[in-house]
Amino acid sequence: MLDVDIEVDRREFTVAARLSVAPGEKLALFGPSGAGKTTVLEAIAGLVPPKRGRIAVAGRTLTRTERPRRSVPPWRRRVGLLRQQPALFPHLSVRQNLGYAPGAAARVTEMADLARQLGIEGLLDARPAALSGGQAHRVALARLLLAHCDALLLDEPYTGLDPGSRRQLTALLRDLVSARHVPAVLVAHELAEAQAFADQIAVLDRGAVVQVAPPDEVVLRPASRRVAELVGYRGFVPVAAAGLPPSAAAAGEPGNGVRRGPAGAPAAGAAAALPVAGVHPERVRTGAHPGDGIVLSGPVLASRASGAAWEADISVGGTVVCCRFPGRPPGVGERLTFTAVGAPVFGDGGRLVRHAEEVRA
Amino acid sequence: MSWAADGGAFGPSAAGDTARYGPRRVRSVSSALSVAGAGVIWLALLGPVIALLAHSSPHAIVSGLSAPGALGPLVVSLESGALTLAVLLVLGTPLGWLLAAGKLPVPRIWEAGILAMLLLPPLVIGLLLVFMVGPDTPAGALLGSLHLSATNTFLALVVAEVYEAAPYYVVGAQAAFSGVDPRLEDQAALLGDPPLRVLRRVTLPLAAPGLATALAVAWARAMGAFGAVIIIAYHPYGLPLQIWTSLQETGLPSALPFALVLLVVALPLPLAAYCWSARARRRHRG
Repeated sequence: MLDVDIEVDRREFTVAARLSVAPGEKLALFGPSGAGKTTVLEAIAGLVPPKRGRIAVAGRTLTRTERPRRSVPPWRRRVGLLRQQPALFPHLSVRQNLGYAPGAAARVTEMADLARQLGIEGLLDARPAALSGGQAHRVALARLLLAHCDALLLDEPYTGLDPGSRRQLTALLRDLVSARHVPAVLVAHELAEAQAFADQIAVLDRGAVVQVAPPDEVVLRPASRRVAELVGYRGFVPVAAAGLPPSAAAAGEPGNGVRRGPAGAPAAGAAAALPVAGVHPERVRTGAHPGDGIVLSGPVLASRASGAAWEADISVGGTVVCCRFPGRPPGVGERLTFTAVGAPVFGDGGRLVRHAEEVRA
Repeated sequence: MSWAADGGAFGPSAAGDTARYGPRRVRSVSSALSVAGAGVIWLALLGPVIALLAHSSPHAIVSGLSAPGALGPLVVSLESGALTLAVLLVLGTPLGWLLAAGKLPVPRIWEAGILAMLLLPPLVIGLLLVFMVGPDTPAGALLGSLHLSATNTFLALVVAEVYEAAPYYVVGAQAAFSGVDPRLEDQAALLGDPPLRVLRRVTLPLAAPGLATALAVAWARAMGAFGAVIIIAYHPYGLPLQIWTSLQETGLPSALPFALVLLVVALPLPLAAYCWSARARRRHRG
C-alpha cells in the first residue's frame, strides 16, 4: 500500500496530493506540463522534502512532518523511480547495470527471464552507449524491477520514443508491473498513455488533484469543466443554444459524489455563469440522435483531413466546436447537424452538473 | 550558416546547391588550415627538442649522467613528485568534489583562492612561502618543534611543488566531478546505495578520466616546479635546479643531459593518462 498525503511548495503554487494506491494497483497521475506531477513522485522518492504531510509504503512511514518527525533517505526507501532518461551507468555493462541494486546481481534466473521478456538478452555484455533509445529504456526497466522495490514510480518514461515503441513499452510495463503486486504510479501528460497503463487516473492541475476515477470515467464524467478541457473536450456550448432548458441544468445537484476541484472555479471564468455542455471531438455522431446526447447544429467554418478522419470547426450558438467525423463533412458555410454523445453539462463554477440525458429526463 | 562561407553571392535559388557543395569545399579548406596550424604548433614544439637532441651527443649524455651523484636529482624529483601527487590526491580530490557538488558554504571564496594560487607567479609563491613556513613563522616554529624544517629541505621541496601544482589539480578535479550527471547519482541512491557507495561506484569511476588528466597536469607542474622551489628549496636539487645550476656553472652542454632526462621523466605519465582518459571517455560516450 502506498499512502501519500503531502503538500510540497513550488515557486508558483503548492502541490497538494492525497493518493492511496493498493499493492498491484496502477495509478496514473495525469495533467498538463507543470502541474506538479513529477514533484509528487520526487517527494515519494525522497528527492524533494514536502512542506507538510505523510508518506508510507508497505506499512513503513517514509516521511512524516508531524512529530515524531521522520524522513527516510532515498537509498533506504525501497522506492523505484524510472524517468524519461534511462540513466544507465555508462561505465558499466548492461549486465552490471541490471545487477546494480543490492542483491540484484544474485537474482540470476530472474535477470535472465526479464532480459528475455524485454528482448535484451543479446545485449547483456554491451555498454549502454551502444544501445538504441528503446533498448536503453528496456534495460532501465529491467534494472528497476530487479531492485525489488516496494513501490514503483514511473515519470513519463517513454516520452522521447516514437509512438510505436512507446505503445509497446507501455504495454510491457503494464504487464511486468502487474506481475509484481506492488503499488505503481505513472506520470503521463497524454491521456491515452495514462489509460493504457492505469486502473485509476488522478487528474492533477496546478498542484491539486481534481479528480480520481477509472480511465474511461475521466472522459465520460469529467468532474469539472477544467478536467474536461484536460481530457480533450474542445467545445463548450451554452445549454440554451443546445435546446435544453437552462433552468433544468442549473437546478441539478452536483453530480454523483464528484468532488469540486479548486481548478474548476477560476478556470471556467466568464463561462461559469451559464451552464455549458462539453463537446468532445471524438464523441460526436452526424445527424440528430436525441436519445444519445445533445443535438447541435450550425454552419461549418472549416474542415480538414486529420489522420484517418476529418476534423471540422462548427459554429454553434456563437461558440466554435471542433469535431471529428469518419466521413468528409459538408463544405464551408453549409449547415451540419450532429449529436454530442453523452455530453456532460457544467454549471456554476464549472463543476459537472449532470449528463444531458439526465437533464432531459 | 553554410551560405555565409560562400559570401552570399548566390541568390536564394542557389541555396540547395550551396547546402550540397558549399560545406564540403569549406570543410576541405578549413581542414587544410587546421592541419597547417597544427603543423606550426608541432614545429614550434619539436624544433627545440630536435635541436636539443642534435646538440647532445650520446657520449656527452652518458658521461654527464654517469658522473658520481648525477642521478641524485632525478631520484629527488621523482620522490618529491610522487609525494606531491599523493598529497594532492588525498587533499585535492575531496576539495574538488566538495566544490563541484556545491557542498561548501560561500564557494566563491574558495574558488577565488584557488584561482589566485593558479594566477600567482611561482616566484611570488616562493616568497609567500618564506613568510608562511620559514623558520621565523608560527608554522616554521611548529615544524621546528617536530625537528622538521621547511627551508632548503626535502619537505620544503614538496611544499613548493604542492603549491605550484595544487590549483591545476583542484580545478581539474572540480571540472571532472561537475561532469558527472547528478541524475545518475540520484538513480544509484534510489537503487539502494548510500552516499559513500554512490561516490565509490558511480561518481569516482565517472570522474576518473578527468581526474587522471588533472593528475597528469599536476605531475608535469610538480616535475617542472622551479620558481617557488628556487626560493625555499634550493637544496636538495631536483632536476629543474640541477639544470639551472649546471647551466650557471658549466654552461649549456652539461645542462642538456638533465633537460633530456626531465623530458623523458615528466612526459610519459601525462601522455599515458591522457590516452587512457580519452579512451575511457570514448567508451562512455559510445
